[in-house]
Amino acid sequence: MKAKRWIYRIAAILILVGIGAVMFVIGRGHTVYFDNKKMDYNGTTLEPPRKVEVYVDGERVAKLSPKDRGMATNIGQHFEMTLEITKNKGDEPVTQEVSLELPFNMDGIIVNLPGLLADIPYEDYISEFVQTDPEPTEEDEEVVTDEFAMDAEF
Amino acid sequence: MKKENKVLKFLGNNSVPIMFVIICAFCIPVSGFSIPYLLNEIFTRMGRNVFLIMALLIPIMAGMGLNFGMTLGAMAAEIALILVADWQIWGIPGLILAMIVSIPFSIALGTLCGKILNRAKGREMITSYIISFFINGVYQLVVLYMMGPIIPIKHTSIKLPRGYGIRNTVSLLSMRQALDNLLAVRIGGVKIPVLTFLIIALLCLFIVWFRKTKLGQDMRAVGQDMEVARAAGIDVDRTRILSIVISTVLAGFGMVIYLQNMGNIATYSSHSQIGMFAIAALLVGGASVDRASIGNVFLGVILFHTMFIVAPEAGAKITGDSMIGEYFRVFVSYAVITVALVMYETKKRKAKSAVGQQLEAEQREEESK
Repeated sequence: MKAKRWIYRIAAILILVGIGAVMFVIGRGHTVYFDNKKMDYNGTTLEPPRKVEVYVDGERVAKLSPKDRGMATNIGQHFEMTLEITKNKGDEPVTQEVSLELPFNMDGIIVNLPGLLADIPYEDYISEFVQTDPEPTEEDEEVVTDEFAMDAEF
Repeated sequence: MKKENKVLKFLGNNSVPIMFVIICAFCIPVSGFSIPYLLNEIFTRMGRNVFLIMALLIPIMAGMGLNFGMTLGAMAAEIALILVADWQIWGIPGLILAMIVSIPFSIALGTLCGKILNRAKGREMITSYIISFFINGVYQLVVLYMMGPIIPIKHTSIKLPRGYGIRNTVSLLSMRQALDNLLAVRIGGVKIPVLTFLIIALLCLFIVWFRKTKLGQDMRAVGQDMEVARAAGIDVDRTRILSIVISTVLAGFGMVIYLQNMGNIATYSSHSQIGMFAIAALLVGGASVDRASIGNVFLGVILFHTMFIVAPEAGAKITGDSMIGEYFRVFVSYAVITVALVMYETKKRKAKSAVGQQLEAEQREEESK
């Protein structure tokens, strides 16, 4: 009877750990930044298109001119977007579906759009976005411990 | 005569909810809020609070009174959410992971609380209240000094600028209302968080089912009379510990649901008032220290939160100062707990004295024979 109970307990723990591990992977959030900036690759300069509109889940998340940066958030490692590219002034926009596998360990990922559109290797147009530490302020340093607050939001 | 007694008994037993119905009936028209606005607020607050308040039902079933120690579960949930926010797990997976991560903390804290409460039988409420202060100190030690140097925290948006400790507010924007918005429906401008309500419904079913299980029956037996339960072969201490552990784990889950609705954690104060307000809401629903039902939870949340919504506006309209309403609602929260505790003690003493009188009468009768 005791052995059976232990088996149930261990099974329950394993199931929870398993669900937790799955959630850890599928729930990993990333911020994807799209840079419409020129890029040097193997001695060639990849020029940015005149206008790029980025759609994620049918919603426009960025409208980029050269030198612009846009962003979108994504849960999981698979990222899909639709680009509407206008190469030169007066051109008809061309639509392109893009599907990317995002690196798990990066919070923020910069995608260089001219590089992506030029079909260069993945690791060359992807880079990590590193956030600079915010300057500490006095307000940040203040630690308010609990008190019987009257304005407790409930 | 009998009918009059019945009415008086009903009024006596339901004095707190009736009082709140009167307060709400008076304050709603004075506040001037529209019905859709009020309904929207009440549905939001129901989704936010019902799960937390339900965590109180099981210890009441086991005769341990109102579990002020539910704060422990809330702290476990906050630690889990801080970790999940730092690991950058977003949306529903983040919430599920936070619930799973909170379980071991909740079990450990619940076991500790249960063991202490077993050494303070008959004084469970005050003991659990003080335990929550004690654990709050430990929580602050962990969050202020251990998170960073010992427990790895990577993101500067979570850490204090000094390099260790957690900021006063941790943003849960990536999980904000993830549960409430999924499957939400809007009826006449009123948002109904269907998935949150489904989860609450599942908890209701769990509680109904749990009451019928062997452990549930044991808890009820322990709640009615510990000595009789012990004589019947029930491990009283273990049953009581389990009731507190289940309550703490459920409180942890409830706190995750509560905080996803709020969209941020007030690291050092989110949990401090949670037990008090949850208990007040349950009591407003007509529960007492030794008797509470699912119905009490729903009625309590509706009445208590309606009062919470309308009181400041009504106070501002009547007195010209909204702070009066703010003070009023906090004062009422504490008052309702006090009244419930006094009523419980009075009833207990009355019952004791009635038994004494009955025994005396029987003794006299025997002597006269």
